[in-house]
Amino acid sequence: MTGSSESSGRLLEVEDLSCEFVSDAGIARVLQGVNLTLDKGSTLGIVGESGSGKSMLMKSILGIAPRTAKVTGRVIFDGVDLSTMKEGERRKFLGRRIGIVFQNPMTSLNPVVRVGRQIEEAGRYHFGWAKAEGRRIAIELMASVGLPDPEECYTQYPHQFSGGMKQRIMIATALACKPDLLIADEATTALDVTVQKNILDLLQTIQQDRRMSMILVTHNLGIVAGRTDETAVMYGGRIVECGPTESLFLDPRHRYTEALIGAIPRTDQPAHTRLRVIPGRPPEQLRPIPGCPFAPRCSVAEARCTESTPPVQSGADARHTFVCYVPVGTIGPGAAAATTTPAGASTEVI
Amino acid sequence: MSGPAANGEMRSVTSIDAAGRAPKGSSPAGSGRTAGRFRLGVPRLGTLNVGFAFVFIGLMILLAITADWIPGLAKPDVGWGDFHATPTLDLNGLLGADTLGHSIVSRIIYGARISLVIAIVPTLVAMTIGLALGMIAGYYRGSVERVVDLYANSIASMPPLLLLLAIIAATGASLWTMVLAMSFLQSGQYARATKGAVISHAGREYVLAARALGASDVRILIQEILPNLVPTLTAIVPPSMAILIVVEGSLSFLGYGIPPPAPSWGGMIASSTDVLQLFPYLLIGPILAIVLTVYSLNTIGDYMSARINVREGQL
Repeated sequence: MTGSSESSGRLLEVEDLSCEFVSDAGIARVLQGVNLTLDKGSTLGIVGESGSGKSMLMKSILGIAPRTAKVTGRVIFDGVDLSTMKEGERRKFLGRRIGIVFQNPMTSLNPVVRVGRQIEEAGRYHFGWAKAEGRRIAIELMASVGLPDPEECYTQYPHQFSGGMKQRIMIATALACKPDLLIADEATTALDVTVQKNILDLLQTIQQDRRMSMILVTHNLGIVAGRTDETAVMYGGRIVECGPTESLFLDPRHRYTEALIGAIPRTDQPAHTRLRVIPGRPPEQLRPIPGCPFAPRCSVAEARCTESTPPVQSGADARHTFVCYVPVGTIGPGAAAATTTPAGASTEVI
Repeated sequence: MSGPAANGEMRSVTSIDAAGRAPKGSSPAGSGRTAGRFRLGVPRLGTLNVGFAFVFIGLMILLAITADWIPGLAKPDVGWGDFHATPTLDLNGLLGADTLGHSIVSRIIYGARISLVIAIVPTLVAMTIGLALGMIAGYYRGSVERVVDLYANSIASMPPLLLLLAIIAATGASLWTMVLAMSFLQSGQYARATKGAVISHAGREYVLAARALGASDVRILIQEILPNLVPTLTAIVPPSMAILIVVEGSLSFLGYGIPPPAPSWGGMIASSTDVLQLFPYLLIGPILAIVLTVYSLNTIGDYMSARINVREGQL
């Protein structure tokens, strides 16, 4: 875990962020009133299944959502409102104060540009690095992200690297301007498990060394379990539960979080035990959902769940919030089960 | 696991067993053609063609540039021998002399200069215009794209030779009006090709990554997308140069080309056809020059696009 206690103050505040795409088929509501906060120096995990809006949330925060997207809400970064800023102004934050690493290292690098050039590119236009300076910094960065023989790598092209190496290059690119916030948007999803661990360890080391804040976006609960201070669970374009990671894993309150944790394969069970699944499918974005988006798949849903959005409640820990009418621990089969689920133990922490 | 996939696995295992080791050519690309310099999917039969094409074009460029310094070469617009002189073993007389007694060899070499200008200048101008229009259209889409499409489609919908004739008839025949008209005619094609490539690249993740680093649109277009357009463009440049040379030949043949006494290949053919039945050998030189040049350019174009397709697949 990172030492969030020493640093103070908000780095990022997201208020009521919504994003929708208007098309002939209707309005696709990709994000609906997302609220988030991130303290300086701390790590936030964002979990959710495919299509829950994780990546769009990150893109909307950065203001790099597709032009066809309609984004509303406020994004306050280090006291500055990014959402009302002109694009040219906002660009000064991107790359310089906020770095992002995308999911697929195979396609995130320009295939016809030498990697050294790609790493120093942001520094060139944010800080006006000269050629020699950029080269020196790029080589330093490549060494710091664990690329062997950075001098040689500097002049190579992306196709000469493996996936893990490319992701290291992407990380170097994102770190070039020493950002205060690093977003890893499914940064390890396309890599195999051992490489995933290496990359995550690298990110964690860098984050601690540089006292950066970090957002880890993933669909893998194991990744956030041991590496984040706080975790937010997304479903259907909303954050359904958010709180300190430990509290969220030990004492999940939203029914979706509970079901997600329950679906993690457990190594302490005999082989060929049927995995627990969440019945049903994620909600369709084209249909407006007046109530809780998880209600159709929820085992304890009541009539009001589909009719109106539940209020935000907080648990024993005031930082642990969830949006549910019938949270775990109140009624239903989950009441007893939740307290007996040992989070860290059953979760294969990567 | 599906059946075919399992089968494929089995087959590859047996082939390793039979040979005692993995077959030599079983690289991820998986092509059978492995040995040699041109294994990138370019048929081996073509290597001779391609070699000839590059050598021929190289030679033509060299001759065009050094024409003035070739020892003993007659001037193309100065009478050198008898009218319609038959070919001799002399350098200037190798292909005979034309109706005015000019050396045909000399006129072909100096004519290469004109062909070079005709091939290169309109291409550069058209590519610049086409790149700018295509990049803006492909990146911003919307109404800009519709305007550029209209531009490209209007040019493509007109018969090029008629349009050229009309422009030249209106402005008078000269090398530079021809170059300008050709630039305009070819710009649509470059705009269209560029637009398509930009659309495909603008949606890729590295462009998003560049935006996330704070790159401006101009920067993304020039630094990120432009280098990726090079393969697309290198593949279409040689064949369009070939078309330009043919068009110049056709215009000169029709009498709307570069006015004499400037030595243009098309013009040489035109002036020789009047006496075709009496002195057929006058046609051999200029026709060979045009045919071989166009053939070489097209071969080079095919070779380029074959190489580039392979490269794209590997990326």
